[in-house]
Amino acid sequence: MSFRKLKNATMGMLVAATALLIIAILVIILWHIFISGAKYLNWDFFTRAPASVGESGGGVVNAIIGTFLITVVAAAIGTPFGMLAGIYVSENRGKRFADIVRLCADALQGVPSIVIGIFGYTFIVARFRSYSAIAASISLAFMFVPTTARVTEEVLNLVPSSLKEAAYALGARPSSVIWNVSIKTAAAGITSGLLTSMARIAGETAPLLFTAFGSRYIEWNMSRPMAALPLQIFIYAGSPYPSLQQQAWSAAFVLVLLILLLQFSARRLISRILRIHT
Amino acid sequence: MERLSADSRREKVREAAYKTATTVAAVALVATIALFLVQLATASHASWRAFGLRFLWTTEWNPVTEQFGALPMIVGTLVTGFGALAISTPFALGIAIFLADYASKRVTEPFKYLISLLGGLPSVIFGLWGLIVLVPRIGRLEVWFGTLVHSEALVQAGTTGVGLLSSVVLLALMILPFSSSLILESLLLVPTELKEGSLALGATRWDTIQSIELPFVRKSTVGALVLALGRALGETMAVTMVIGNGMRMPRTLFDPANTLASAIANQFLEATSPLYVSALTELALILFVIAIVINIGARVILRRGVQQR
Repeated sequence: MSFRKLKNATMGMLVAATALLIIAILVIILWHIFISGAKYLNWDFFTRAPASVGESGGGVVNAIIGTFLITVVAAAIGTPFGMLAGIYVSENRGKRFADIVRLCADALQGVPSIVIGIFGYTFIVARFRSYSAIAASISLAFMFVPTTARVTEEVLNLVPSSLKEAAYALGARPSSVIWNVSIKTAAAGITSGLLTSMARIAGETAPLLFTAFGSRYIEWNMSRPMAALPLQIFIYAGSPYPSLQQQAWSAAFVLVLLILLLQFSARRLISRILRIHT
Repeated sequence: MERLSADSRREKVREAAYKTATTVAAVALVATIALFLVQLATASHASWRAFGLRFLWTTEWNPVTEQFGALPMIVGTLVTGFGALAISTPFALGIAIFLADYASKRVTEPFKYLISLLGGLPSVIFGLWGLIVLVPRIGRLEVWFGTLVHSEALVQAGTTGVGLLSSVVLLALMILPFSSSLILESLLLVPTELKEGSLALGATRWDTIQSIELPFVRKSTVGALVLALGRALGETMAVTMVIGNGMRMPRTLFDPANTLASAIANQFLEATSPLYVSALTELALILFVIAIVINIGARVILRRGVQQR
């Protein structure tokens, strides 16, 4: 066997071994989360607010409601900005300013979540002198807009130009072509992008630390401090009580399920578009 | 006739509204970066006035005497970020090459799904796993190593398990899905004719990978790694949970420490004096500038990589 062949065989085995090792570790992590999370789940967990300190039992329904409200409001604030900016970049492809906007969106996607949290605190909380869920939603919207803008742009770029040209040839105005042709053709893709972005912000903790702050009670008022699943996981994980650590695992499990649900719906939409296009 | 002109007027208004709305949103997106800079700079003004540039290279971080120097956090950030990148890069390359060139499609699809699943996992959940599963094991390893080299200090530092080493390992795991999927994407773009040509000339599979595929994806791999580094430097929750909130300059890898991000997350709610808040905000400002520079740099590298083809 020549040196080349020996090297080929060795490197092949090395690559396969690395891949298997990593996959094994990733499976172990997921296994821990699912097993530890599912083990301690019970009905109270979904229906009750946390028990008072020192007592066992109780649930995280306040955090589930909080995560839902904060995420949905953030998406509602961020969607128009993100989509409009995405439309701008896609319609002005090749122009210098559109490139700059795209670059800024990419750069903003990389801003650490804790920076967003500090920004939210100094920009909103410090000004109004109170922690509030709406401050958390606005902070998360700053993470939501760049991702939405990029996804919208990418999906709109996939709309065949022949479709748009046909509409223009019939005398349609740009705004009408965007709305009636581009957006409607790309609707499934854009929705899927919105869901993926929501899945991303639903799991964020750092922007909530100094804005939503957390609460022990079920809260529907967006102008007051509010609990959220990621916050609850963070607080319980550091607690010395094993029963609270168990709750952290269960909360993590519920959060992962929520994110998977959003991603799954996004995937379903994507596969539907692919079916239409082929 | 009247009807027509009313319609066309409405159309003109709609046209103008569409143009304005999209332009405003685009400008707002760009302005966001300036807004962040201005907001963070104003909020950290007090710290800037008290310490000036000294903030960047003094090592004392003491809330009681109100002396704030960010060097321990800057060191912590660099050590964890580059350490995680160094550990995870060979593995990321390995798994990307395996999935692109060795595995069959039946294997590739579930593996890719698994990797994307891990990539989408919230940071706080990695932190929970790290704190409860990883940290005790790393602690045992550190104590074992400490006794091996007869160093009382290392054993002491390693007993809790929290510290730089745990953060590096956890971060390496966290950025792995990200960097490997980016590298895999660019490996899949290598034209099949190039690979087949090389194989037809009698090159082995590894020869092909080494002298055709890797050079082809070199630029985009560098871009991907820079992006991964950016993530590692700014990663907050997971690191906050396992790094141990040490305020002094770490001397060994086993010591508790802080990164810029974890210092903010650990201490911001306890910060009572305005100067303390301001110093923590200045950490956020430093982090923001690093993140913007790294991300724009990586995109420029990636774009050049694409243009070259």
